[in-house]
Amino acid sequence: MRNLLGGGWRSAPLAIFGLALLIVLAGVLVSIQFNATYSRARVEQSQGFADVLAASSAAAVDFNDPAAAQQTVDAYRVNQQIRMVGVFDRQGRTLAGYDRSGRPVAPNIEGIPPETGNMIRVQSPITQAGQTIGTVYIDVDRDIRSRIILRYLFLVGLFLLAALVVAALGLAQAQLRAANRQLGDRAEALAQANELLEEQMGERAKAEEQLRQSQKMQALGQLTGGIAHDFNNLLTVIQGSADMLCRPEVAPAKRIRFAQAIVQAATNAASLTSQLLAFARRQPLKPEQLDVNALVREMDDLIDRTMGERIRVVTELRSLACRVETDRAQLQSAILNIASNARDAMADGGVLTIRTRDEDGEEGRPMIALDISDTGEGMDAETTDRIFEPFFTTKATGRGTGLGLSQVYGFASQSGGEVRVESAPGEGTTLTLLLPCADFAELAAERPDGSEIVRHAAADILVVEDNEDVGAFAETMLTELGHRVTRASSGEEALDLSRRHKFDVVLSDVVMPGMGGLKLAEALATEQPALPVVLATGYSQEIAEAGSSGRPVILKPYRLATLSHALASAMRDSQSA
Amino acid sequence: MPGRRTLLRLAGAALLLAPTAASAQVTDTAVKAAFLPKFARYVTWPAAAMPRGSDPFVLCVLGSDPFGTMLDNAARSQTIDGRRIAVRRIDSAAAADGCQIAFVQGSRTRPAGQVIAALGKKPVLTVTDASNGSQRGIIHFAVVNGRVRFFIDQASAAQRGLSISSRLLALAIGVKQ
Repeated sequence: MRNLLGGGWRSAPLAIFGLALLIVLAGVLVSIQFNATYSRARVEQSQGFADVLAASSAAAVDFNDPAAAQQTVDAYRVNQQIRMVGVFDRQGRTLAGYDRSGRPVAPNIEGIPPETGNMIRVQSPITQAGQTIGTVYIDVDRDIRSRIILRYLFLVGLFLLAALVVAALGLAQAQLRAANRQLGDRAEALAQANELLEEQMGERAKAEEQLRQSQKMQALGQLTGGIAHDFNNLLTVIQGSADMLCRPEVAPAKRIRFAQAIVQAATNAASLTSQLLAFARRQPLKPEQLDVNALVREMDDLIDRTMGERIRVVTELRSLACRVETDRAQLQSAILNIASNARDAMADGGVLTIRTRDEDGEEGRPMIALDISDTGEGMDAETTDRIFEPFFTTKATGRGTGLGLSQVYGFASQSGGEVRVESAPGEGTTLTLLLPCADFAELAAERPDGSEIVRHAAADILVVEDNEDVGAFAETMLTELGHRVTRASSGEEALDLSRRHKFDVVLSDVVMPGMGGLKLAEALATEQPALPVVLATGYSQEIAEAGSSGRPVILKPYRLATLSHALASAMRDSQSA
Repeated sequence: MPGRRTLLRLAGAALLLAPTAASAQVTDTAVKAAFLPKFARYVTWPAAAMPRGSDPFVLCVLGSDPFGTMLDNAARSQTIDGRRIAVRRIDSAAAADGCQIAFVQGSRTRPAGQVIAALGKKPVLTVTDASNGSQRGIIHFAVVNGRVRFFIDQASAAQRGLSISSRLLALAIGVKQ
């Protein structure tokens, strides 16, 4: 910017002087032109004098009468501009004349001084009857004094004007330069301020990053606290029940109650971990085609119980029975999560409305909308914005993990749907779960609910598990079911064993050091295509991303019934194949 | 200032007069001879007195002739309105009918006055010379300060129907109205 202005103005003095020069030049030119015109006029005028003198002195010359000629010539003395007048006869002799300076006129025509620059010399022949009988010379000042003064005044004025122009422009330019310099200084100051600001912004960003980090740690602490609290409760139940079971002479009815307490606590714990994974969107979904209306209907009782007596539950199932392909447990969990939040929002009672309807999603894709509305206290915009944030909770510490609605969000996203919230303080809240319709309307056969333990002919089972406890547990359970169990602690060992002994089925963990479950399954599929493999995992990135290539997967923690069912159906499928 | 101007004029005059004064005697007659044909240009004659057709202008010398060839030479070098000037030497006024200009020298036997009187009212420009007597024609030569000058008798000219140019009158030493 400085250079830009500076570059343009560096040549300004030159331009100013050029302009001044132009003015002077123009003035001089005008003056010269004026002078030329004036000179021409003066020459003509002088020629006129000479012609008149020639005519009027003709007789005097004719009769060689110097006195008469002189008398005629003397008439011209009146004219102050005439320097010299000379009347010469045919032979060039001076007949009459005068010189303003007082010098005598030369005796003949050759003697008159040469013409100079500041005079106009004119001559006129004296004729008589066509004959030239003499000559008249007149020298006139080229300039009259007043004109010279005027001219000098004009030139002086011109120079003054030029000087004034130069001065004015110079002054303006100097001011401009000063302003420019000031501008440059300001720009520099601005740049410095900008730099400082950027530095501060950087520091601020750093501080914000630190704050976020600390907030994250705080949230993590909150979460850990919540989970620890919940888990401790569950573990208390499990530990206490187990202790009671260990005591001798426990009545069979009591034993069953303790065992059921343990099962319930473990189920709750599993649901807690599954929520954590759903929040992390890392839970492997077990998609199946579901009739949402049917699912809601089934949940009626459960929801009623969850809501308590002060809340009335209304269901409006308007959807035209299009099906969604999603994980049943996760969907149930999502509905329960939303419902329990609604309950907490209606401490003084109210109405919970569950509504299904059809809605067109992006690109006209049919979707099912599941609206769950409460008539509770509602939320302000700030809270609304944050409800899906993990660990965000308005509940007291220990009362909630802050994961409920983030599970909903994670589940909806993973299912290719979305979740919306509509709320205002005092006007209740509506959460809408949007799920895409399945591509085909055929309703998949409902799976067995897993409570029934499948009895099966004794089989040779290879259990691959790197965790000793889990491996031993599986062995115990399977042996209890009447199977023969061989254990391997790695994929490599299992592969080796499978070559030496014929097994009916392989139950393998997915995540193991060295060869994992998926690799093992692939290897076995090549070596022994007829040998079915059941995979078990608590969480597997690989399965979540790539799937299990059609192999049955059971989720840890698994229960006896689930395990027996999965193994039985795997063996059945391989036999029928 | 006027004094200075007068001085200047005198000085100029002295310079101009210097060369002519040296040979005055010789040149006075020559100057008069040169002047004679020139007068014609400053005088207007009545139409009837002008030469007819392409006839020359006639300059007559009445009586004795002091000029000789000088006058012939002078006349030859002049023209009047494109006309030549012929010099005619005559003896009597009676022969002066065709003359436009007549120089009257006069003599002891026939003084100039008589000759002029004899010319009467003829439209002839008579010229006399002071060195030959005081009888004056219309133009009368006189030498003043060594220079040949002349008097003009305008009244006499008017009586004869001649009109004389003011430019010539301006050169005269005196003009008789």
